Order: sequence, then C-alpha cells, then structure tokens
Amino acid sequence: MAYDRDLSFVYFGPTKIVFGAGTARDVDMEMAGLGCRRALVVTDPGVMKAGLVEGVLKALGDRCVGVWSDVPQDTGVGIVNRAAAFAREKGADCVVSVGGGSVIDTGKGICILLTEGGGLENFEGIQLLTRPQTPHIVIPTTAGTGSEVTCMAVILDERKGQKILIVEYFNTPRIAILDPKMTEKLPPLLTVSTGMDAMTHAVEALQSVQREPIADGLAMQAIRLLHRDLPVCAENGADLAARGQTQLAATMAGWAFGNAMVGLVHAMAHSLGAIARVPHGIANGILLPHVMAFNLDDAAEGYAMVAEALGVRERGMDEREAAEAAITAIRSFLERIGHPLRLSEVGVTDEDIAKSAALSLSDGAIVNNPRPVLDEEEVIAVYRAAF
Amino acid sequence: MAKYNAMTQEWLDAWKEKIATSKEYREIAKNWEGSVSMIVNPDPEKGIPEPIYLFMDFWHGDVLEIALCDKAKAESAKFVMSGDYARWKQVAKKEVDSTKALMQGKLKLKGDLTYIVRNIKTVNKVIDLLCEIEAIWPDEA
Ligand SMILES: [Fe+2]
Repeated sequence: MAYDRDLSFVYFGPTKIVFGAGTARDVDMEMAGLGCRRALVVTDPGVMKAGLVEGVLKALGDRCVGVWSDVPQDTGVGIVNRAAAFAREKGADCVVSVGGGSVIDTGKGICILLTEGGGLENFEGIQLLTRPQTPHIVIPTTAGTGSEVTCMAVILDERKGQKILIVEYFNTPRIAILDPKMTEKLPPLLTVSTGMDAMTHAVEALQSVQREPIADGLAMQAIRLLHRDLPVCAENGADLAARGQTQLAATMAGWAFGNAMVGLVHAMAHSLGAIARVPHGIANGILLPHVMAFNLDDAAEGYAMVAEALGVRERGMDEREAAEAAITAIRSFLERIGHPLRLSEVGVTDEDIAKSAALSLSDGAIVNNPRPVLDEEEVIAVYRAAF
Repeated sequence: MAKYNAMTQEWLDAWKEKIATSKEYREIAKNWEGSVSMIVNPDPEKGIPEPIYLFMDFWHGDVLEIALCDKAKAESAKFVMSGDYARWKQVAKKEVDSTKALMQGKLKLKGDLTYIVRNIKTVNKVIDLLCEIEAIWPDEA
C-alpha cells in the first residue's frame, strides 16, 4: 500500500473497550475503577421505554445520583446546559451515557461543563481544553455512530440555529461498554441504517486525504465485519453474536474516522439531515455509492481496499477495476439488507437538494474529501444521481 | 528577495503588502468578514521568551490590519488560533496543512469551524502568501 514517504500523522484512541453480552451490568465496577462514586445517567425517552436503562440503574445502585432522560433526536446547547446544572446540583463526578449519538454527545457536553463550568456555547472550537475532563462511560444502544470512541461532539446552538462542533482530545470517553444485548431490540430499518453509518465511516476513512495505516487497518476490519454480520442482524435481530460483531465494527470505524476523518458523503448527509430531516444513517447509505463514483479518479487506491474487504477484488484486477467493483458491491449490499436506495423514497424534494448542496460546502467533512469540491453544481449532480 | 525576521512587525507588513496587492486574494476573499488572531506560545529555548500575539482583520477582499498586539486584543478576534512556536513555523513553511493541524490538536481554534471551511480557499491563500515571504526564524538566526 502506498503512503506518502513523508507520511506524518497523529493517531488518538484512548478509550477502554469492554465487550460482551451482559457487560452493561459491569458499569459499577468500571466506574469504581475510574475512581468515581456519583454517576449521572444520561439517556432518552425511547431508550428508557425499551427498558435498556433499568439494568444499568440496578447495577449502579446508589452510585447513580440522577437520571437525565430529556434528550431529543438532535441535542442542543440549552439541553446540555440544563442537564449539567442538574448534574452539578446532584454532585455527579462522572457521566454514564446510555443511548445513540445524540445521547452520547449530550454526555460529552455535560462532562465539559462539570469540569470547566459556564455554558456550552463558550466551548465551540477545536482542542481548546488543557486538562482531562469529567470521566465519561458510554453504553451505546445502536451500532453506528462510533461516538463512544471519538473526541467530537456536534450540538445544536438553538439561538444561532446552527450546529456547533466541539473537538477535544481531553473529552474522549474513558470507557465504552459494548453489550450486544443493548442493540438486540433495534428494529431492522434502524439496524441497517445505523450500520450503514458505520460502513460509511469506514469507507470515508479509507478515501480520506488524512488516511493512514492504523485507521486503514481498523476501517478494513470494520467493513469485513459489517459485510458479514449486518445482513444477519437485519434478518434476525436476536442473533447476539452478529450484533456484537457489528458493534465492534462500528467502534473500529469510529476510531478510523475519528482520526482519518470523513468526507463528502457525510457533508451531504449532514446537510440533508438539517434541511430535510433525513436520518443520518439513511442519508449516508443512499449517498455512499454515488459519492464513491464521484470520487473514483481520486480514491481508487482506498476503494480497492474496500473491494478487498468486501471480498470482490479478483485476481488480475487493477486498482481502478477493483474500485469499480467496490462501488457495485456497496450497491448490492444496500439492496441485500433492505436499505432505501433513492433520496426520493425518503421524502427529499428538488428544493431540499438545492439548499442542501449550498450547506454542504460549509461542512467540516468536505475538506477531507479526496476530490476537492468547491462548486455547488458538483454537489447537486451527486444528489441528483441519488435522487 | 528581501529577508525578514519572522514574528516582527516588518515581517507582518511584508505579508500585509503581499495580500493587499494580490488580485487573486481579492477575488477569493470577497465574502470574508472578520478578524483572526494568532497566539504563539512562548518557547524560550527557541528565542520566544514571551507569548506573541498577532491580530489580522479582513473585510470583503481588503486587508485592514496585520499587527502585533496585546493579549486582550488577540482574544477579541472572531477566530482565535493558538499553538506552539514550532507548529506555527511549520505552517508558515507549509510543512503542515493548517486544517489538519487543527484537527490533530497541533493548533487550537476558538470560533466557528464551518465558517473557516466555507472560506477555506481564503485561508489557504493567506497562508500561501505568507509562505512566499523569505523569513529568518528566531531559532535559526
Ligand atoms: Fe456518521
């Protein structure tokens, strides 16, 4: 594999992983290992209703000093500020997040405010903090975001009507507990769409201008596991072995993109989320093969690795042929797992496309795309191809 | 070409002149609004005994100000970037990419990253013009 001879990068991935069915019940021991005694549990109403928090609360016993379950699908600065005030009032010394991306990002925000004080609106920025933040234990209930191991949080500033990005090495979760039982009840569409979010993280890490060998290795294995086990999960959600492998894949893809970053698929999916409320994973899944086709000339090497991981790189294929095979394989994978294939199927309109294209150009992910994107028309063309 | 001592007002004046006379910059930066400051952390062994504060102000293709300043003024900028002397030198010599350096924690940014991304061509152009200036660095003098 060819990397620049003067390759230089930083790889950061300090989160401890605890894996296995039933390990969510070990949360109290893990917490004690961090020297913490008073946990705030952060979650959302859906996760509560699914009964996923009970076991965690039981394990924590009186080490849980409060539960904050008021987290919407897209969390906001106001919510984090209120939750942090509640945590402070209860004297919390650590945060346990039980949920998906929005819950985890809320937990990340609370950790900063418990350490630094003030309101979250003052922390928009990159690597501003100078000391370790409040310990954070994450128990994901989806296998997709990878947020359990990244140092990034995306949180809506309700006053500005705009999402703010907080990137802080010092605020990376200390422990991620990957318990397959926590994803067992996830319905098929949510299973495949969150899985395609993870797949997209891995593919975009492999094509990124910041790709490097450690992230590449993690991304390759994430693709292999998702390719093998996501269809199994879609078919039979109760297959805990397959659930576990997709959780691990999502976490590995999280490390991959947390270091190598994502690209145009994410820029376009973020915009569709903001404008047309298309769920993140679904937007990613639909757009992925189309963006790959757009990037082909500039990312053949990375896509050839995708082909290898998907098992479609045949002997004698050159890099470009392998890259093309990868695109075809992603398309058929989407069909096989019953993922939506077109933006028109999920309610996107012409008007949404025009607005989303403009917004995509200011998304942080776009600077890491292998093919430079500077023109709105190019983005519109990709949306149209996926329409 | 004249050589300038890096991190001095003469060096900043040369940079300002380059930006002000660049037609390309004027075109690329026609939408940019606002100030940027750079904070260079002290590194006594490399000839930087105290922090250095630089303030730059740009407006719709014009460069209004590039000057050494005090801490308070630097912290008042729309975007505040800070980092070690050695990192800034790498940026000014184009040895590292500034956006990568931000994401990897080599530089810090206070402010709205999406604005920077939306105007990444402007940012890159300003840095390119800085790279064109031949400089003598404090630790190389
Ligand atoms: Fe994602």
